[in-house]
Amino acid sequence: MNRYLNKLLLVLLTGLCLAQTTSDMLTPAIRGVGDRLACLCGSCKNTVATCQMLGCHYSAPGRERIAKMQSAGSSDDAIVADFVQREGKKALAVPPTEGFPLLSWVMPFAFIGVGLWLIYWFVGRYRRPAGFTPRIDQAALDRYHSQIEKELTRLE
Amino acid sequence: MENLGAIAILLAFCLSIYSVFASITGVRTNRPVLALSGQRAVYSIWFLLTTASALLVYALIAGDFRLAYVAKHSNRAMPTTYKFAAWWGGMEGSLLLWSWILSSYSAVVVFTNRKKLRDMMPYVTGILMTVLCFFLILITFIENPFQVLAVGKGITEVPDGNGLNPLLQYWTMAIHPPTLYMGYVGFVVPFAFAMASLITKQPGDAWIHTTRRWTLITWGFQSSGVLLGAGWAYAVLGWGGYWGWDPVENASLLPWITATAFLHSVMMQEKKGMMKVWNMVLIAATFFLCIFGTFLTRSGIVGSVHAFAQSPIGKYFVVFLAVGIAGTVYLILDRLEYLKSEAQLESVISRESSFLFNNLILLASCFAVLWGTIFPVISEAVTGEKISVDAPFYNRVNVPIGLFLLFLTGVGPLIAWRRSSLESLKRAFFWPSVAGLVVIAALLISGVRHFYASMSLGLCMFVTATVAIEFFKGGRAIAAKSGQNLIAAMLELTHRNTRRYGGYIVHMGIVLLFLGFTGAAFNKDATNDVKTGDAFHIGRYELKIRDLLDGDNENYSWRKAVVDVSVGGSVIGTMEPEQRVYKASRQPTSEVAIRRRLHEDLYLNFAGVTNDGRNMAIIQSYVFPLVTWIWVGFYVLLAGTLICLVPPKVKMQYLRTETVGYVKQNEPVSQ
Repeated sequence: MNRYLNKLLLVLLTGLCLAQTTSDMLTPAIRGVGDRLACLCGSCKNTVATCQMLGCHYSAPGRERIAKMQSAGSSDDAIVADFVQREGKKALAVPPTEGFPLLSWVMPFAFIGVGLWLIYWFVGRYRRPAGFTPRIDQAALDRYHSQIEKELTRLE
Repeated sequence: MENLGAIAILLAFCLSIYSVFASITGVRTNRPVLALSGQRAVYSIWFLLTTASALLVYALIAGDFRLAYVAKHSNRAMPTTYKFAAWWGGMEGSLLLWSWILSSYSAVVVFTNRKKLRDMMPYVTGILMTVLCFFLILITFIENPFQVLAVGKGITEVPDGNGLNPLLQYWTMAIHPPTLYMGYVGFVVPFAFAMASLITKQPGDAWIHTTRRWTLITWGFQSSGVLLGAGWAYAVLGWGGYWGWDPVENASLLPWITATAFLHSVMMQEKKGMMKVWNMVLIAATFFLCIFGTFLTRSGIVGSVHAFAQSPIGKYFVVFLAVGIAGTVYLILDRLEYLKSEAQLESVISRESSFLFNNLILLASCFAVLWGTIFPVISEAVTGEKISVDAPFYNRVNVPIGLFLLFLTGVGPLIAWRRSSLESLKRAFFWPSVAGLVVIAALLISGVRHFYASMSLGLCMFVTATVAIEFFKGGRAIAAKSGQNLIAAMLELTHRNTRRYGGYIVHMGIVLLFLGFTGAAFNKDATNDVKTGDAFHIGRYELKIRDLLDGDNENYSWRKAVVDVSVGGSVIGTMEPEQRVYKASRQPTSEVAIRRRLHEDLYLNFAGVTNDGRNMAIIQSYVFPLVTWIWVGFYVLLAGTLICLVPPKVKMQYLRTETVGYVKQNEPVSQ
């Protein structure tokens, strides 16, 4: 009995869960626009073009919509604007380069700029002054010589 | 049993408070016996948390479905390995694992230093137990793993549990979380020593010498944890992605980056007595990023497929982070006097400078990832509008930073400590540069026009050449003196200075990782509906569906496609991608088939059958060039880390460059 129940479950579940279609069209033209749009399925951080989840509830219809608008003569920018109008700015895969979101692009490079300035400051502060050489202390020099001798002997 | 577990955790919590109090009061009031009892309380805490963990694991394996945690994360049909893995499959259990690992580490620290560092150890114990106390608050009062299912006033049980998330029922998932936790938690130890060093106003580097091995081991665990997670994603998620820039993935990368910067800059402190403040900042940043990562996974502040269910514990983490960071900043600022640099930079063209740049670029990468992770939250708070920061953002910002870092990986070993002349730089850079340029030229000639991929492969060659030259030069010198062959001489060389040459091997691991990442620029994919007996192509492969099979066992039902793979008309193998539906959770998963080769992987996912009545198999096929080098790179990196841990055959004593004063050039030296 258990065997039959399992078989029935198998048929039902595989029917429900595995049945799919390959309607996820992806031409280079669709990829071009899809790469600019975030997949908002909630399970990935990919774009509409790169989301690989078969039958994804966001990227699959998204690709179809892009294809439809392209065949209706819409430009790539118009398609992207249409997605933004529907979903808000979160429809874009990367933050826009204007207004507050511009900060997302600027800050990492500003960080490098500040870091370079800090290195410049550090080098300026801790660099030995030019034209000066360290005074040689004979006792220290002897210590170093004996250390070198010892290590060379060990190496041989 | 549930009472025993809950009491063990409660007692551990009380003892952790006692340990903090006794250790610190003991040393402050000069009562060594009290301080010692505080340290010994650590062993009791470890015993209590081991008992609690053992009880939870027993409940999971025995199927005690009176416990809410067991009912939620285990079921009868699960293999025992995954029942054990359910210990960290949910919020409460994973917090218990965190605490247990920390108590184990603390016990090891207290035991191994029982006769050393007597002035610092009470503070080290106090800090370790403060962190543990925080986690014990969470599992004692908010996310207790020993809560029972109750109806009214009576305890009840369910006949079977929900089972572990099927995506987690994979062998790397059984070891990835604990490995990552061993990394996360391990960084508490060097942090505790660093803070104890500040509190006790230590002018020296005792904390660094004591924790060097510890940091390296922890870094090895963190690297393994991150890469095991990548391996799991590659083999389980069904589309071959190993890194998706998910917030939780990012959270595991952040402390790894700062720890990597620390492992480099700490050499400046050991050899030159420089960058003491910076090293404090780096180890503190690493620790707080570990806590931040734990917070990110559990607070629900950012959406992630890896995150645990939403929980009220987020605000506790915020308070802990705020207090911890404020305390650390205060301590560092208050003790600046004890962190003064002991030496000066002699030249801008020196190994010291290359470390400064290495640290800058590592931290820039860390900041870019952190910024991208939290920017959607910041943006929503400021503008009220949600924005997406997805993979393209991270790739655009981090790929150039990563390539520059790869370049520095090659440059560092070529520059001498103290100063390098332009002539010596020319000599050192010539052959590695030629090797790198030859690779770029060869790629251009063969039609590769992908800028970043060409640069990456060229730089991989450049770094490989620098590492090879280092081994060759050292090996040849030893071979000339000892008469050994070159390979034996190189082994001898590595054994003489395991830290340096182990480090170079780690660098080679990084090169191989980059080689694997670069292959992604040439990925191919296709999705086909195929009838049994029909064939389709991807790349140079012809794939023919021979059969569709199905079956079931007590845990899941399965259906698989049997696919014959041919190249140029001759069959080279059979692959069997499979779909499973787990009975307890009714969740489908993919068991992809991968034909792994060093030059490329053929990756098949059986995505199901068409629902249009034709009953055709849907096969997603991918060709991933060079991806196997990521896993090879991981093993090389691990081997390098282990070599660094081996005591060197020759103990070199490097005396610090001491600045005893200055005289003008040509001025007679007075004694």
